[in-house]
Amino acid sequence: MIALTPPTRLRSGSGYWWHSYRMMVRWELTGLRLVLPVTVMVQILTGAGFVLALGLFFGQVPPRAALFVSTGVLVLTLVTIGLVLGPQLVAQQKAEQTYDFLWSLPVPRTTAALAWVTTNFILGLPGMLVALGVALLRYDLDLHVSPAVVPAVLLTLLTGTMIGYALAHALGNPMLIAAITQLTIFVILGFSPINFPADQLPGWLAALHRWLPLAPMADTVRAGLTVGVVEGVARSYLVLGAWAAASVAVTAAVLRRRG
Amino acid sequence: MTAVALASTTLRRGAGYWLAGYRAMLRFDLASSRSWLVTFVLVQMLMGAGMAIIYGFYLGDLPPAAATFLATGAPTLAVMPLGMALLPSLIASRKIEQTYDFMWSLPVPRTATAASSFTLFTLLAIPGVAVSLAVAGWRYDLDLRVSLWIVPAVLLASLMSASVGFGIGHAVPDPGVINVITNLLIFVVLMFSPIAFPIGNFPGWLAALHRVLPFWHMANVIRAALTEGLVESAWRSYLVLGAWTVGTWLLAAWAIRRRR
Repeated sequence: MIALTPPTRLRSGSGYWWHSYRMMVRWELTGLRLVLPVTVMVQILTGAGFVLALGLFFGQVPPRAALFVSTGVLVLTLVTIGLVLGPQLVAQQKAEQTYDFLWSLPVPRTTAALAWVTTNFILGLPGMLVALGVALLRYDLDLHVSPAVVPAVLLTLLTGTMIGYALAHALGNPMLIAAITQLTIFVILGFSPINFPADQLPGWLAALHRWLPLAPMADTVRAGLTVGVVEGVARSYLVLGAWAAASVAVTAAVLRRRG
Repeated sequence: MTAVALASTTLRRGAGYWLAGYRAMLRFDLASSRSWLVTFVLVQMLMGAGMAIIYGFYLGDLPPAAATFLATGAPTLAVMPLGMALLPSLIASRKIEQTYDFMWSLPVPRTATAASSFTLFTLLAIPGVAVSLAVAGWRYDLDLRVSLWIVPAVLLASLMSASVGFGIGHAVPDPGVINVITNLLIFVVLMFSPIAFPIGNFPGWLAALHRVLPFWHMANVIRAALTEGLVESAWRSYLVLGAWTVGTWLLAAWAIRRRR
């Protein structure tokens, strides 16, 4: 009976939390080892692909278009894993009925969420750097990297990942999750002012994007990389922060639930 | 007993038997298309009209000539994914579900099965072509002159595309590999093909490659039927598309005659 005391004491506190967090990051990376190389390759290909394809769209690429796509692909590589791959992985766990097992692991649930954010960062970083490198080689870019890029990238990553996480855990039906993520990728690539300026969208769509998280993600990251291109970046941080807080709140509510 | 055996032996060959098999397979394919018809229409809308609109967002303000070029690429973008991506992935899913061998065990000539696939995928492409062209024309406010050449152009483009897809689906054994190939095809077509953009924008080596690949030629024959003066010597593109069609038929013939 006395022997039971130490484990009880161990399973709380910051040391236990930190240990669990490290275990969960390892768990995620090990679980992904089969899809990891393919995912990183796809990230690199799409990131670099968009940068290079723009040169084929235009005969002579206008500097503003080059600047937008080069900074926009960073956001794409940061959020597609969290918003698209993440929900699909959770949907797969639900379909294979391993979902409940994951929550039975003896770790705090916050560590699972944060480990997933960390994994996303590790997965997104190579694609982001390669895309930026290709853009610098291909186009004569006028980039001014400021420290503001760090909070912008982190907030974008956190928001994107948490929205996908909240969606995947809150919705029950794996097919519905798959359909939503397919639609999301289409909206991200084609109908959001990420890779091109908002004024090239129809007015109503541009107005809608002022309240959705995608345009603010692009604006904050772009503001950290350029000078004089983005206006009203404070508002973008506020909108993005609100989305981050809301998705964290939804995730927390869903994770605390017990089935 | 002998009478029955003789009768069935005589029945299972000849043009009449082939036609009966073809009609039966067409009904079989049409009936099973219920399950993917919605996906089919959605893919066509998204790829054809959707991509024409999206490219416009990337380009910003378009001069009328560029807008015409872009909008006349929309039908090609709608046709291509059906034959080259959806058809092989249907075949791949039959392999995954292990109903593939059952399909070949049906008592019809294999050429009738192939002909049924080609017919269905060629004809089902037509509504999507019309819709994507209408949407793109409306979006860019175009005044297109549709000539009668649109009929052979769309039919050949779509038959070629279905033939390539059929060839890939049957010749590549592993369904996982089939899906990788189709995803790669979509990626290459959307990002690196002179369908909605002039081939003059492309670097020399890539332009040379596209004179051999079928994508640019598909866009050429369809664009030639919709505009005047934008396309030169469309007959060469007809020839290349014809060669791809016949070439992939040979590949498919080799693949479906194999017996394990």
